[in-house]
Amino acid sequence: MAQDILQQVEVIIKKTFDNDDVSITLETTADDVDEWDSMTHLELIDAIEKHFKVRFALGELQSLKNIGDMIKLILKKTSP
Amino acid sequence: MLFNSFAFIFCFLPVTLAGFFVFNKFDKNQFAKCWLVGASLFFYCFWTLKNLPIIMTLLAVNYFLGRELHSLQPRWPKGILLKLGLIFNIGILCFFKYANFFNDISGSPFELGKLLLPLGLSFLVLQQITYLMDAYEGMSKPRGLLDYLVFGTFFPYLIAGPITHYEELVPQLENKENFKFSPDRFSLGIYIFTMGLAKKVLLAESFASWANTGFEESASLHFFAAWKASLAYTFQLYFDFSGYSEMALGIGQMLNLELPINFNSPFKSKSIIEFWTRWHMSLSRFITTYMFTPIVRLMPSITFTNSMVATFLAMLIVGVWHGAGWTFTVYGGMHGLALVINHIWKKKRKKKKPIPFFGWFLTFNFVNITFVMFRATSLENALQVYKAMLGLNGVVIAKIFGLSKESALIKSGWKLGSMLKPDDYLVLILLVAAFVLILKAKNIPELSKSFKPTTKTAVFCAMIFSLCLFGFNRITDFIYFNF
Repeated sequence: MAQDILQQVEVIIKKTFDNDDVSITLETTADDVDEWDSMTHLELIDAIEKHFKVRFALGELQSLKNIGDMIKLILKKTSP
Repeated sequence: MLFNSFAFIFCFLPVTLAGFFVFNKFDKNQFAKCWLVGASLFFYCFWTLKNLPIIMTLLAVNYFLGRELHSLQPRWPKGILLKLGLIFNIGILCFFKYANFFNDISGSPFELGKLLLPLGLSFLVLQQITYLMDAYEGMSKPRGLLDYLVFGTFFPYLIAGPITHYEELVPQLENKENFKFSPDRFSLGIYIFTMGLAKKVLLAESFASWANTGFEESASLHFFAAWKASLAYTFQLYFDFSGYSEMALGIGQMLNLELPINFNSPFKSKSIIEFWTRWHMSLSRFITTYMFTPIVRLMPSITFTNSMVATFLAMLIVGVWHGAGWTFTVYGGMHGLALVINHIWKKKRKKKKPIPFFGWFLTFNFVNITFVMFRATSLENALQVYKAMLGLNGVVIAKIFGLSKESALIKSGWKLGSMLKPDDYLVLILLVAAFVLILKAKNIPELSKSFKPTTKTAVFCAMIFSLCLFGFNRITDFIYFNF
C-alpha cells in the first residue's frame, strides 16, 4: 500500500516540478530535490490533496519532515 | 525580573528549580506543575501587577475556547469558535498595540490616554493562536486546566518566546523520566544559559551604547560613524535576542524540558530565503504555517505569482506585528520584497551553482541595512542614517597610518578627524570578534550535541559566568520585550 502511494507521489512530484529525473524514497526530504522549496512545497501539497482527495491541516504541513511522513499521513487520511 | 539579574539567578531560579524537583521526587507531579504556574505568575508580576488581569482574561477565554474546540460535542460549531478566538486574540493585540497610532494618524480629537502594551502580549497572543489552531485541527490532545496554565504562563518563554506549541511542551511534563533530576541535562542547561547570558551581558550591552549614540545623533553622523552605528545595532539585536532565547532554552533544559530553537547561525546565510529559516525560527514557523499558507490557500489557484503576493503580504504583517509605526511597516516590506526577488532569481537561475561569498555579502548587508529601519525612531531618523552610510554627509577619517592634510584621501574631500581613542579600538576589536563568532563559532544546537559535562567545561562556564556578573550593573531591557 505504502509502496503504491510512494509511486503515485513520485509521479505527482515529477509533474509538479517538471522534472522526470526525480527519484524518491521514504527518506527523501525537500533538501534532496532542487526544485522543492517553500514556494513549490504548497504546489506539491495542493496536487497531492487533489489526487488523493484529502485535505491536510495547517499543523500537519509543518510536521512533514520527509516523504515517509507524507505517505503515513496520506495513508491515515485515506484509510476508512 | 530579567534573566540577567541577581534576583533571577540567585533567588528566583534556584528556588523554582528546587521546588519543581522536590515535588516531583515525592511523586507530587500535580504540585510541581502548580509550583511552575505560581513561579511563572510571580515572575510576570515582578514587573507590574497592573497587566495581570489582562493576561489572566486572555488565558481564561482561550482555555474555555480550547476546551470547546477539543470537545467531541462542542456547544457551538468549531469554525465559529475558532473565528471568535482569532478575533478576540488579534483584537486585544491590535487594541493595545495600534490604538494610539491610529488615533494619532487619523487626527482624532479623542484622547485615548497612554495605552501601554502589556509585557509579552505579542508573544502570548501568537502562542494562544497556535493553541486554538492545534485544538481546532485535532493536532493536540484535550487535557486539564493545570496543563494549560503551565503552557500559557511558562516563565522561560512567557515574555519573548520562543513561540512554543502546546504539544511541544505539555507531553514532556507527563513523561515520568523528566520528573527526575538529571545531572547531565542540568549541566547542559547551565552551559546553554551561561552562553546566552554572555551574549547578552558581554556583547549585546557593549554594542548597545554605540548603537544608541549613533541613532540619537543621526543628523550629525558621517560615513564611518553611521556604519559603526548600524553594525553595532545589528550585533546588539542578534546577541540580545539570541542570548535571551538561549537563556530560555537553558532554563528549559535545567527543568528537563526541551524548547524549540530560535536561532541557527542566521548570519551564515547565503540568501535572504535561508536567513528566514535561521532567524527567529519559531516566528518563521508561525508565519509559514498561519499566514503564508492560509493566504495562498485563499487564492483561486496556487501559482508562483500568487505565492509571491502571499510572501510579501505575510512579511508586511510580520513588520506591523513588531509595532505600530511606518518604520516597522517599511521593514516588513523590505524583507517581503527581498524574498520575492530571491525566489524569482532562484527560479531563473535553476540549477546554476550559487556564488557563496557574493550571496553571504549581499544577505548580511541587506539585513544590516533593514535593521537600521527596524531600530530607527522614525522614517526621518532612518533616512538620516542611510544618508550618512552612503557618504552623503562626508567622510571623516581618524589620524591613522600617517595620514596628514597633504594625503591624497584628504585632498579628495575626506576630512581628517582626531586620533583613535581607546573606545574606538574597543569597537574595532568587538566588531572583529562579533564577525568571527557569527561566522566561525558553533551555535547552540551544535554545541549541545557535542557537550560533555567535564571539569574543563565547568571551569570555562564559571569563568564566563563570573565575567558576566561584572556586567550586571549596566542592565537594560531585552529588545524584544518591547514588541
